[in-house]
Amino acid sequence: MTTLATDRVLTATGISRRFAYRTVLADVSLSLARGDVLLLVGPNGAGKTTLIRVLAGLLRPAAGTVERHGTIGMVAHDAMLYPALTARENLRFFARLHEVPDRERVDTLLEQVGLARRADDRVGTFSRGMLQRVAIARALLHGPGLLLFDEPLSGLDAAASRTLVELLMSFRERGTAMIIVSHEMERLGRVATHMARLAAGRLGPLESLAGRDPAAVFATLMQEDQ
Amino acid sequence: MGATLRAAWHIAVKDIAIEWRTKTAFASGLVFAVLVLAVLFFSRDPTAVSAQDIAPGALWVTFTFAAMLGLNRAFLIERELKALDGILLTPAPPAAIFWGKFGANLAFVGAIEAISLPLFVLFYDVPIWLRFGELVLVIAMATIAFVAVGTLLSAMAVRTRYAELMLPLLLLPFLVPPLVGGVQLTARLLEGRPLSDLAGWLKLIGAFDVAFVTAAALLFQVVLDE
Amino acid sequence: MTLRESGARIARLGGVVTAVALLGVAAVYLRALKYTPVEATQGAAQKIFYIHVPAAWAGLMAFVVTGLLSILYLWLKDRRIDLAAAASAEVGVAFSFVILTTGPIWGKPIWGTWWTWDARLTSTLFLFLLFVGYIVLRGVLTDPGMRGRFSAVIGIMGMILVPFIHLTVYMFRTLHPAPIVLKPSRPSLPDDMLTTLMMSVAVFSVLYVGFLMLRYALGLLHEAHEEELADAS
Repeated sequence: MTTLATDRVLTATGISRRFAYRTVLADVSLSLARGDVLLLVGPNGAGKTTLIRVLAGLLRPAAGTVERHGTIGMVAHDAMLYPALTARENLRFFARLHEVPDRERVDTLLEQVGLARRADDRVGTFSRGMLQRVAIARALLHGPGLLLFDEPLSGLDAAASRTLVELLMSFRERGTAMIIVSHEMERLGRVATHMARLAAGRLGPLESLAGRDPAAVFATLMQEDQ
Repeated sequence: MGATLRAAWHIAVKDIAIEWRTKTAFASGLVFAVLVLAVLFFSRDPTAVSAQDIAPGALWVTFTFAAMLGLNRAFLIERELKALDGILLTPAPPAAIFWGKFGANLAFVGAIEAISLPLFVLFYDVPIWLRFGELVLVIAMATIAFVAVGTLLSAMAVRTRYAELMLPLLLLPFLVPPLVGGVQLTARLLEGRPLSDLAGWLKLIGAFDVAFVTAAALLFQVVLDE
Repeated sequence: MTLRESGARIARLGGVVTAVALLGVAAVYLRALKYTPVEATQGAAQKIFYIHVPAAWAGLMAFVVTGLLSILYLWLKDRRIDLAAAASAEVGVAFSFVILTTGPIWGKPIWGTWWTWDARLTSTLFLFLLFVGYIVLRGVLTDPGMRGRFSAVIGIMGMILVPFIHLTVYMFRTLHPAPIVLKPSRPSLPDDMLTTLMMSVAVFSVLYVGFLMLRYALGLLHEAHEEELADAS
């Protein structure tokens, strides 16, 4: 386990989890600090989604602990919204559950993700790119210190991907810590500060990307498996 | 406690807003109710069975079956884009999900009952106005009973691949006490017996309400866990 | 001890218990058929009473065991407790089925109809349906964790439901009494019959335990097999 900077945002120790008799996560530990952006790569079925869900608190690990220092927002493969409600209504609902003043915050966030004009359209009519942006707005409602992304670029076309990557860069500049699960290393390599590989439930070392070419680091990580 | 009630309120309001907008489950429930009332009326031998005799049974079969159609709806809307995960990521106490869904289901079933009742009077020509208040009390108590159990069981049923089959299969044995009690009480009310005569059945349904609302609320967390 | 070893041991033990119980059942039947007096009004058909009542007792016991083990499982989270609860439910289904078939077989010569909405028979019917629901639910859930938790919820809810069903049926029956006065409950019995009945209840209880052990062992072995399959891939 690599210990990163001083303002810890998240510390996970010895996470294990099984499903249907198979081990999905085996003794996973990691620590993240303010400003860290970890790109998590690995083959399908390696347990990346499960790890994200455990870190978010949606799943309880069979063993191990997760210490969260501050709040977390999550953007998963499913948008976590109600198709029958409008973007504004969806965000207002979650804002109320977060006990955050709903009107201003929701309007601000809709602006920030570029959906102010479509705020009163039903989310069921949105394209995948737009859904992702509403989902991000939802994740940001309570101003979390850590954001978790599970395959944020999947299903997006080139333009939507670019918009999203810019958004992620803006979060990085603000110092929000992030863990991004993705195999789109080319697009997300420049957003990340660290990279690590999860394979067969085991997490490899966190490699810093400071002053290094992401592609080269990625190649190193792939080799470590052999 | 206050936080649970507030969150439950938001969840219930959101559920009702969604159902109001789509009206699919409500419309099917209503059509079903009308059909059942009419079919039971016409399928008897009018020379052998008077409308008044089968009226209580017809009413309660209508209520319970229409309710079952609507119960799965509450958790199916959460499944479409995994909105339930979104709720679990907020600080809202998980118990609020049960109470919110319970409240929304009560409103849903109550609305179907309110519309079915005049139709019932129309078809079966029964003098409910004499004992209206008491009848409403009986309907309320029995409805609480099967909606409480139904809310818990539908949360489980939607997690399987056979939700429409599992819910009736699991729920029907639990409907027996409130259903039989409801029919007996309705029959006696319509015959003009005083409420004190019916103390036994009222106590049965009352005890059922207390036992199962409590059990369902406590066991709900188990169903939410993964 | 591994699951497989536990399973094998309990299977052997369970086999012995069941064999003993079955011998006991044979002995009781012999006594019931040959050495217990024939009942005056009901005739030879009444002898089914010696299966029917003990099976009812065993079925109820199975259900309560499932309910209690469900509570224990939610507290301790040991999957063996879940397997035991499921085993008890399956044995309970079997015994309930016996009641639901012997009841009508007894009823036909005595009351002239196959089914009467007799209190005990009706309660057993709903118990049977509850058990069936429990087993079907287990069948559609593949993850053992979810299966255990959901089964436990139904087990506990079912256990709470049982007294309500009995009360409902009882209150209904007192309003609509059966047309025949004699009911298949325990009337005041002469000593001979009482002894045979008590013996039968004891023997059926042992049979329940034997079946429970066998089914539980099967569950353990199945679980061990699933684990081995998953590890291999």
